[in-house]
Amino acid sequence: MNASAWERFVSRTILLLALLVVVTPLVYLVGLSFKVPEGIFSNPMVPFSWPLDLTNYRNVLRQMDVPKFFLNSLIYAGGVTLGQLLLAIPAAFAFSYYNFRFKNLLMSAVLISLIVPFVVTYVPNYLLLARWGLLNTLPGMIIPMLGISVGFGIFLLRQSFQTFPKEVFDAAHIDGANSWQVLWRVLVPSSWSPIVSVAIYIFIITWNRFIWPLLVGGGDPSSYTMTVAVDIYYANPESGANWGNLMAASVVSTLPIMALYIALRRQILRTFTEGAVKG
Amino acid sequence: MTAQTSLGQRVRHLLGQQVLAGIGSRLMPYLYLAPALFFIGLFVLWPVARAFYNSLYDGNLLFPYREYVGPQRYVDLLTNPRFHQILIQSAYYLALMLAGVFALPILLALLTLNVTPREVGFFQSVFFLPTVIAANIAVSVWIWFYNPTGGLFNTVIKALGIEPVVWLRNKDTVIPAVALVAIWKQFGFHYLLALAGLKSISTDLTEAAAVDGANNRTIMRRIILPLFGPTALFLLVITLIQGLEFTFVPIEVLTRGGPAGASSNLVYSIYQEGFRTFRVGLASAQSVVLIALFGGLAYVQYRMLERNVQYER
Repeated sequence: MNASAWERFVSRTILLLALLVVVTPLVYLVGLSFKVPEGIFSNPMVPFSWPLDLTNYRNVLRQMDVPKFFLNSLIYAGGVTLGQLLLAIPAAFAFSYYNFRFKNLLMSAVLISLIVPFVVTYVPNYLLLARWGLLNTLPGMIIPMLGISVGFGIFLLRQSFQTFPKEVFDAAHIDGANSWQVLWRVLVPSSWSPIVSVAIYIFIITWNRFIWPLLVGGGDPSSYTMTVAVDIYYANPESGANWGNLMAASVVSTLPIMALYIALRRQILRTFTEGAVKG
Repeated sequence: MTAQTSLGQRVRHLLGQQVLAGIGSRLMPYLYLAPALFFIGLFVLWPVARAFYNSLYDGNLLFPYREYVGPQRYVDLLTNPRFHQILIQSAYYLALMLAGVFALPILLALLTLNVTPREVGFFQSVFFLPTVIAANIAVSVWIWFYNPTGGLFNTVIKALGIEPVVWLRNKDTVIPAVALVAIWKQFGFHYLLALAGLKSISTDLTEAAAVDGANNRTIMRRIILPLFGPTALFLLVITLIQGLEFTFVPIEVLTRGGPAGASSNLVYSIYQEGFRTFRVGLASAQSVVLIALFGGLAYVQYRMLERNVQYER
């Protein structure tokens, strides 16, 4: 469709305005973190003050155990990613490769698990973790997540596994490989790219989770993730609703995800699109 | 390396043969599925069943089954004016979310058809930024925006000569204020999906129509919009089903449901009753109401997913 010059101009202007609205909070998020603590309200219309001031970052690194919370987030997001992949890969293999009784029924169970509102599962899973003594631990945070969104991985991987030529399986089988070896030695190495995409997707979503880590790990600083730590840091009277500090902590906790996003933007956008269309 | 070449040779040799059925015993697929289904069952499907069961008891997080209440729980809940208020506020949120993360992303995605592909990539990447940041962190800067004395919004409206507003403590402004943040957070994702739906419409069709003399408006009305239907339906359904969930973290960070419950909704109320007032039975009953209200829509989404599964075959 060829737009006229006028249409193109109007479209571009409206999109740029929307862009401004979307970006402004992020500019302020970064800008406020570099303002001197006393001057945070002095000139609200200007997000940045010159020269950039690092006091907020120094405060955050002093008052907040950033390496510890960072490591917790890494273990949490990494553990969930690894665990979900280990569950989803064989399941996707079974769905894309075999015909068996109850296949449709079991696939329905996976689909339904994707639709159940997260909030409905909080209380029952919390009670379960309490009974097992896993509250305020990272395993307690990780284990239920292996059920809660593993359906996404199954869904996405199933689709890419199905495009794999079945003749290669047959050949491997003739060579004497059993299906377990076919899965891990043939299918997985040659599906590396979709598996990494799904891994990045799970990692980002999990790193960003807030309510669940707050419920499970919010009772003890030893199990705070970065998102929880920033929230509790903000509520802490010692940091005294110090906006600059809060913004600096926010920027620090977002850095790894931003780095991932900037480096792998195309791949991430594609996987998010597929993930949504599939569930 | 040698194993691979021999594999390659055999692949060529055996191409086209069907020996698939022979691999593994008939039990194998179940063994591959069992671990994932076990976790899904235990942590997703079982909790749904528990919600029904728990809703019939009175108790707290430590002792959820102190007393049997039975169906009376639902009579109490559904006749409670505070709960009616929560349902009304939920509807208000959903209406705002429909405007902000259903209509707006589609509109802007349609406008995006008029700019160059390079610009499309740029808009897509930047609009998506808030989605890729953790919700509570992305929301935190808005607390400062809404600050009554020195925040950005009141500074701007004071400069325009308007009385400052206590955005988050005022019953009339709090829901739009919170919804705006939720929209800002979610918008880019839905824009991405709308754009993907539009891009999947073949340019062959639109070009052929143009060659046949159709003007832009006809192409839009007769080709693009009808073919965009399924994507629009999908966006509509996820907006309705997840709309309240999108507002969850903004409410938690900005208002915790306040003032006096004026910014709460059904999803937030479930969380609040469960983990703030520890009324597990009440939280569970509200979960059941949530499932009942959105079950029909969820079924539509389920059918769309299922159809997707079949298309892949």
